[in-house]
Amino acid sequence: MENGDLVELFRARATAASVIVTEAANESEADAQIAKDRAAGSVGVVRAARGIAATGTCVVETDDEETRLETMLPETSVILLKKGDIVADLPDVADYLRARQSDGKVSYTSFITGPSRTADIERVGAIGVHGPLALHVILLEG
Amino acid sequence: MSSTSPHKPSEYHKMIAEALDDEFLRRTLDKFAVEYRASRDKVFTEVDGADLIRRIADRKDWAAQHLEELYEQFKAEAERRGVVVHRAATAVEAREIVAQIAAENNVRRIVKSKSMTAEEIGLNAHLEKAGYEVQETDLGEWIIQLRKEGPSHMVMPAIHLSRGQVADEFEKATGEPQDHEDVQKLVKVARRELRPKFHEADMGISGANFCIAETGSITIVTNEGNGRLVNTLPGVHVAIAGLDKLVPKIEDVLLALRVLPRNATSQRLTSYATFIDGAGPSKKSPTGRKILHIVFVDNGRSAIAKDPLFSQIFRCVRCGACANVCPVFRMVGGHKMGHVYIGAIGLILTWLYHNREVAKTLCQNCIGCGSCAQVCSGGIDLPELIREIRDRFAKEDGKPLMNGIASLAMQNRKVFHTLLKFARFSQRPVAGKDGFVRHLPEALLGKHGFRSLPAIASQSFRDWWEARAAQLKAEGEASAVPAAKKLRVALFAGCAGDFVHPQQLIAGVKVLEACGVEVVFPMEQTCCGLPLSTLGERETAIKVARQNVAAFADDCDAIVTLCASCATQLKFQYVKMLGDEARAFADKVWDFSSFVHDRLELQKRPLAPTLEKTTYHASCHLCRGLGGAEKARALIAAASSYVPAREEETCCGFGGSYSVKFPEISAELLRQKLDGIVATGATRVALDCPGCTIQIRGGADKRGLDLKVVHVAEVLAEAMGV
Repeated sequence: MENGDLVELFRARATAASVIVTEAANESEADAQIAKDRAAGSVGVVRAARGIAATGTCVVETDDEETRLETMLPETSVILLKKGDIVADLPDVADYLRARQSDGKVSYTSFITGPSRTADIERVGAIGVHGPLALHVILLEG
Repeated sequence: MSSTSPHKPSEYHKMIAEALDDEFLRRTLDKFAVEYRASRDKVFTEVDGADLIRRIADRKDWAAQHLEELYEQFKAEAERRGVVVHRAATAVEAREIVAQIAAENNVRRIVKSKSMTAEEIGLNAHLEKAGYEVQETDLGEWIIQLRKEGPSHMVMPAIHLSRGQVADEFEKATGEPQDHEDVQKLVKVARRELRPKFHEADMGISGANFCIAETGSITIVTNEGNGRLVNTLPGVHVAIAGLDKLVPKIEDVLLALRVLPRNATSQRLTSYATFIDGAGPSKKSPTGRKILHIVFVDNGRSAIAKDPLFSQIFRCVRCGACANVCPVFRMVGGHKMGHVYIGAIGLILTWLYHNREVAKTLCQNCIGCGSCAQVCSGGIDLPELIREIRDRFAKEDGKPLMNGIASLAMQNRKVFHTLLKFARFSQRPVAGKDGFVRHLPEALLGKHGFRSLPAIASQSFRDWWEARAAQLKAEGEASAVPAAKKLRVALFAGCAGDFVHPQQLIAGVKVLEACGVEVVFPMEQTCCGLPLSTLGERETAIKVARQNVAAFADDCDAIVTLCASCATQLKFQYVKMLGDEARAFADKVWDFSSFVHDRLELQKRPLAPTLEKTTYHASCHLCRGLGGAEKARALIAAASSYVPAREEETCCGFGGSYSVKFPEISAELLRQKLDGIVATGATRVALDCPGCTIQIRGGADKRGLDLKVVHVAEVLAEAMGV
């Protein structure tokens, strides 16, 4: 698949998982979008190492607690994802994960596909039970 | 949990009655059953589900065979990364290890994310008794913790509760009034109440969905995100995992992640999938590094891994799909269909990990429809394992009287058939003229009175066949079709077809002969043996299998049966029981609809379709296993005005001896089946199984419906004018 197709597939699948997907031409444009999120409540911002198109997933390296909590505690979680880092499907991140985990390395990798959700009461879907109430992925060029 | 688990059949029937009377539960599970099917189908269109499931099965089977190596490799890799790895032989040992870790780290408060393995070992009760404060943080788990109940579903632990009941619990827990209608507000209560608990906790306990041997890392799959808070905020993290969670490689996890969420919640991936690889930095830990323990639970698993049949339970990824599609679960809910683990896998795991007395009662409550095997993430043959457990109980305990009589009678065809013919005479005082036993007092029937009972036909199919053969001989014809003609089919009648519904077989013969097929009927054939297998009478089942293989030894192109249940027994079980001895026989077996569709292509021939509105019931054995339902539908559509019914592929509740053992559940399944048929406005329902005919025709008669219940062969015979 061409990268353009991967981006479109990522956008569709992430949107289906209640992710707000936007684009930014550069970092400052992304910052402007994040500023709007901040106006609405607390925001945590992290960068994704990979995107998975088939599932609409961001793969985030959350080895240190700080980064991890950025994706958990604030009301809105923002993830910056470079379009060029999007791969087709789950099996395509195997080598990437192995490189992070092999040779005795210690790591903590988070696959994030949407905001915190539950359907534990009468199977009624609800967003934001423990973690973020909203997940905003900003697609960056490059 | 254990306090409410049935130890005796009488207790169990009482529990079932309560569940059937629980209107909320019934409404919820009915809705869920229908919606789950639709959303699962949709999310599986994007992947080759069968291929993924096969690959998961292969990888997990490999893991079961290499369990000790994988454990050693995992332990070495995890220790290299600062993790302490424990292995507990028993549930008791496992919970003591966890309590010990808590004691060593001066823990007071514990937060927990969802773990079925923790439920299995009874962890919470043990820790609470030792004085620790244990807080469940998964919303569903928290609700059932407040109610002091076990989970009623592996993925949705509180599916049995209404929002009102949840609000009541939250009022008690918070001391504040709560909204009884708005689920969103109730969810926010959990957020508000539990957030501080994560911060205050000294230790987090989680499960693990996968343990990767090559890197010593664990994967945790969640939607709520509580799992990540549990393993991040406190300084100590203990992960509990069954040895069955070990897989060799990262790829195995990525493979399973393509099926687990799709099967569990119809998601492409859950909100969070976390790979924890070693003990990372931690602010709350006195050393600055996370105190990370992984406790592997054996509790019988290493022995099961060596069992040639039961080792396949290692393929289970706890998706819960086997419950979601189970018609019995839909009627009674998880608390009545498991001990800790629920659904089809729950019946099996109760036997393997928990209470054998409870398992003995629970394992009877599988109708054998095969729905679970069709959707299982690991392709586990769940009904077969449940049957095997019944077999083993039957061997251990000696057999009930019914088994003895059935077994004695059925191993000798002549005795068995004479008994059936005798039954015809003995029923005379009570038999009506319309094919039902009419004059039994209701009081005698009790719970079994939900359907009219069929009478033994005045002329069996085999008598009809002999009479016709004699007549043809007198007329000087060797057979109804000139011998020079093409295909030669040997007909397998099956008991219900031969003795209760011979008109179906007669129609089948007429259809085949009208297509130019030569039909033969080997008189030495007997019962297919399925009822014996269900009763746990394996040895007699093998005996009758041999008799049938011998009876069909003469040359023929195909062995055709009008009974889908017989077809699966002949085609699949005989090879399992007899091996190569039955292979040539099994290869020739066809169900009627598939044969007529694939080999004779009757749907393409000019028929004179009737305008009669005809709907369809897809018998379990036809749509699961034989894959014949679509073919039957095509035939019905070619021969009549076909109107689809809702849930055509859901079990009618017959299940052979099941309907006798659990009449209350059978009656409910039948009621829903009939409701679906009535809603189509059809005056006729076609099917491919004389067993389902007994159930549906009996139910329709009891309800006073003007509904014909016929075999697909009868619909075709009518359209062909034969």
